[in-house]
Amino acid sequence: MTDMLTKGGADASVPSTGAGARSHGRAPASRRRSMRAPGFPWILPALVVSSGLVYFCIGYNGWVSLLDWNGISPIQTFVGLDNYVKAFTDPIFWGTLQHTVVYFVVTYVAQTVLGIVLAVLLHSRVRLAGVYKVIIFVPVILAPAIMAPVFRIMFAGDGPVNDFLAAIGLGFLTQPWLAQSSTALGVLMIMQIWNTTGISFILFYAAISQVEHDVIEAARLDGAGSIRIVWSIVVPSVRGTIVALAMLSAIGTLKLFDIPYLVTSGGPNFATEFLGTYIYRQAVPLGDVGYASALSIILLVLALGMAFVLSIRGNEERQAKKGALR
Amino acid sequence: MLEAHTRRGKVLLQLIVTLLAIPFLIPLVVMVQGSFAGQGWGNYAAVLSLPQLPGFFLNSAIISALTIALALLCTLLAAFGFAKLHIRGKEFFFWVLLAALTLPEIVLVTPLFVTATTTNIYNTYWAVVLPLAALQIPFTILITRTFMAGIPDALIEAARIDGANTWRAFWHVVLPLTRPIAAAVIVLTLISAWNAYLLPLIFLQDASAQVVTQVPSFFQGQYNDDQTKVLASAVITAIPIIVAYLCLQKLFERGLSAGALK
Repeated sequence: MTDMLTKGGADASVPSTGAGARSHGRAPASRRRSMRAPGFPWILPALVVSSGLVYFCIGYNGWVSLLDWNGISPIQTFVGLDNYVKAFTDPIFWGTLQHTVVYFVVTYVAQTVLGIVLAVLLHSRVRLAGVYKVIIFVPVILAPAIMAPVFRIMFAGDGPVNDFLAAIGLGFLTQPWLAQSSTALGVLMIMQIWNTTGISFILFYAAISQVEHDVIEAARLDGAGSIRIVWSIVVPSVRGTIVALAMLSAIGTLKLFDIPYLVTSGGPNFATEFLGTYIYRQAVPLGDVGYASALSIILLVLALGMAFVLSIRGNEERQAKKGALR
Repeated sequence: MLEAHTRRGKVLLQLIVTLLAIPFLIPLVVMVQGSFAGQGWGNYAAVLSLPQLPGFFLNSAIISALTIALALLCTLLAAFGFAKLHIRGKEFFFWVLLAALTLPEIVLVTPLFVTATTTNIYNTYWAVVLPLAALQIPFTILITRTFMAGIPDALIEAARIDGANTWRAFWHVVLPLTRPIAAAVIVLTLISAWNAYLLPLIFLQDASAQVVTQVPSFFQGQYNDDQTKVLASAVITAIPIIVAYLCLQKLFERGLSAGALK
């Protein structure tokens, strides 16, 4: 984005000199008037559409979370903090947090390692690099909703994955991947890694373009091998991107809904339940709107907490952004 | 970056890249292959002959267009206000907007679901467009404000001295310079609106109002266990967005990685 920025600046720096000269005497008055031009009406539509809706929903959640209510009935019973107490004593709720942590750690590490390795490889002299880039990035633009049936079929009991395992003599590994608690979460993580590695790849690819070639050449002359160069020069110089991606995929995992809902519906036996799918389950099919609201508020606090951590790391991250988006 | 000097090294490098890239292709291959199983092209014929299918695409297109229009309008106006005009408590309002950046859309579900059941706004476009735009706007304003701040004040002033009011300065001077960032905003909003699943799931329950992301579940309902048709419908739904990406590759990659860095 920064290159657009500077380009915009460069294009913009050609004001007609005639106007500049003519305005000499009047400029101060005009500047004062320009600063006084009322700006509030300009930001009003955005405030109404975005903040209006968002804060209404947060406030509404806050109020309903204190009720025992099914969302339709005229009877609303005020129950105070009972819904929050219920959450903290609900093993499924703790389960969702556990899944979130596991999911985040595994998908983040895998996407970071894969992203860096692919970016380094495609910065090397490889034929058809453009084709590989497209292959890696295409999953990013495909909706999980479209791809979910494909992953369900791939990992079905009689699906291609089991066929493949049987064909290469690993028949003893075949199993109903999505129907058992021990493997269902793994399938979701595979889908997530497939879906979003393209983004970390593009970010690392851009960040690595910023690494000085002189430094690498110097290291090579000093006898450093390729792996040594990647580990000691490339990885440290993309550290900002690594940190930024950690925070972003943490928030992304907290927001997770489409993949678990569409592939496993949170099952089997809540083994792939996430906060998102659990809120949906409580609010829509089960109609426990009060409890769903309490869970929403907890999710909001967790997400804001992550955002806070993110803004503390602001400096480091901003550097990553600069590198990544140039 | 890595340099292979020998022929063997070069082949090895190419081999590693290929091995790492293949897994990204496998689901797509499975999808296309599966869609031809059984009746072959017949699966596609069956899916395409369904009278509801054009409706799914049309609804997605309308919802995406409305979301883009609303988000772009709010974004450009607000970004100009934040970047160039005087507003009392400007930074306060900015933070009020930005606080929604990390908001998970599921948090909107309970209030919107209850509102929908009581006011009966099911199956209307705006029930999906408004929340989609609301969640998109904070981020697009953030990047557009930064961009507009880079446009020199002198330029706007010059226009004003030539007799233009704020609106004309915005329209004739600022907007033409904002095109690159507007393109990024459009691509970002397009992807998030076209790929949205949760909000349409809640609000668009009538088959005639549904969108492309609901196509696979629709076909699952229609054909029960006929997975070949489900896969054929997935391929048909994936094609437009892949074509759009291949045409505007740079824009998509830049826009989406900017979006990821919210």
